[in-house]
Amino acid sequence: MSTVVRNLRIVRRMTAAEIAQQSVYRAAWIIFMLANICVPIISLLIWRTALASGAHLPVDERYVTTYFVLLGFVTMATSSWMAGFLAQDIRLGKLSSWMIRPASLLVGFVANNLSEKFLKLIALVPMIGIVWWIFRDSMTIPAGPGHWVLFAVSILLGAVLVFTIDILIASLAFWMDDVSALVQARVIISGVLSGAVVPLALMPSWSRGFVDHQPFRYTVSFPVEIVAGQLTGRELLTGFGFQLGYVVVLGILARAVWAAGIRAYSAVGA
Amino acid sequence: MRIRLHVKLWRRFFLQAVVRETHYRAHFLTTLLVGLVQLGLGIVPTLLLFGFTSEVHGWSRAEAIALVGVFQIVTGLIATFVAPNLNRMTTYLTEGELDGVLLRPVSSQFYLTLRWINVAELTNVASGIVVLVIGLVQAGISFGPGQVVQAFVLMCCGLVLLTSVWSALAFLAFWLQSVNPIGIVFLSLVEAGRYPLVFFPVAVRTFLTFAFPVAFATTFPVRALAGDLGWSPVALGIGLSVVALLLVRLVWRRGVLTYSSASS
Repeated sequence: MSTVVRNLRIVRRMTAAEIAQQSVYRAAWIIFMLANICVPIISLLIWRTALASGAHLPVDERYVTTYFVLLGFVTMATSSWMAGFLAQDIRLGKLSSWMIRPASLLVGFVANNLSEKFLKLIALVPMIGIVWWIFRDSMTIPAGPGHWVLFAVSILLGAVLVFTIDILIASLAFWMDDVSALVQARVIISGVLSGAVVPLALMPSWSRGFVDHQPFRYTVSFPVEIVAGQLTGRELLTGFGFQLGYVVVLGILARAVWAAGIRAYSAVGA
Repeated sequence: MRIRLHVKLWRRFFLQAVVRETHYRAHFLTTLLVGLVQLGLGIVPTLLLFGFTSEVHGWSRAEAIALVGVFQIVTGLIATFVAPNLNRMTTYLTEGELDGVLLRPVSSQFYLTLRWINVAELTNVASGIVVLVIGLVQAGISFGPGQVVQAFVLMCCGLVLLTSVWSALAFLAFWLQSVNPIGIVFLSLVEAGRYPLVFFPVAVRTFLTFAFPVAFATTFPVRALAGDLGWSPVALGIGLSVVALLLVRLVWRRGVLTYSSASS
């Protein structure tokens, strides 16, 4: 137990340090987040036009609007960008210096993830607020705090899930020279299957069974659906079951691959 | 400006880029593959949308696909000739490389905007042409030489206008130091060009025609080919392009004046 407490304390310290360091690029974070909401807004306008001109979508205007307004926030909150960096640290032997430290290299990446998300939130939340206000007449606001709590929990689980997938991909760098193609493939596949490009509710009916149960749904779409859609209690329960299941299974897998990788690791320069 | 010298120089840059590319064949292949996947994904929303309806504001599915083709051509050309340069803007300024450029006996704005060419991205232009042809054939559009000229000129105007906007944003580096993220905003906004202009609310249409003129690059050329456009938008495009070039020139001049070398 004391290792967990110690690691948490290290994450907190490192996050604070990273925030101080990253705050130098305040303007850059604002510009980044501006880019982050551009594409969801374009999609939002397109699908609202389709609805207005009589397209028979399986969802209504409220769903579409709430979905795309929240999309930029959720994709940011659950994102992870470390696979390339971690693979590089493994390849170039930077991992060696971490092996004699009291914390794992992964702790550093957790701190980096948390600190950047903290600064991005500060830039992003006001922008989402403005878009929300513009479309306030067709936004779905769940009654009571219950759904918001579930939303927050599912975002947290989604973030852990994406981070775990990234560790899994980057760990392959212990055996492969170049994982950048895999990283690229993950970005492209998850773009479509997570619902970041098009709401999964709009996917064709023949793909339903697969689309609803694959892991990427639980990285973006599921949290948004909790607010935007009218998921029944049963659907919520199975959704969280699947999300938690994927976190646990992929977590165990990532841990095993990482441990095997550490054993196989022979550093450059060591 | 000595035009002939610059044309000759640019040809050298291009030949050098081609030779360079032959050294990095894997880069060529991955660019091709990634481009194809991105093209496929880019069509997904359009295909899904037209699965629920047969036409939106007068656009059929085939016409919308032709538009995606034009979008791929234009963004491919930008990625080939412009992006490799403007993405370096921050390094030029912060590492003092600009000093070396200013000393050369060529227009430094020309050198900074067109020096580097990413030949592999031309594969995206080729796949864009294929998609455009498929869309045009499916839509059963027949056009005369006049319409082809209109479409071509409008697309060139779109390219010049978009390049000008990005250049102007990149030249802000003179005042802001770091502008790398601006390229990302630019590329996200360009995504609006995947869809016909009429799909957007009126205010956004105005923005996409005059402030961020992606309409000239995609919607107008396709409409010109379909024959619903006269010569007046063409004239407007040429006029706007000239104004944009002059404005960018002005921003560049002001920027160089404020520049106080990073290395000395």
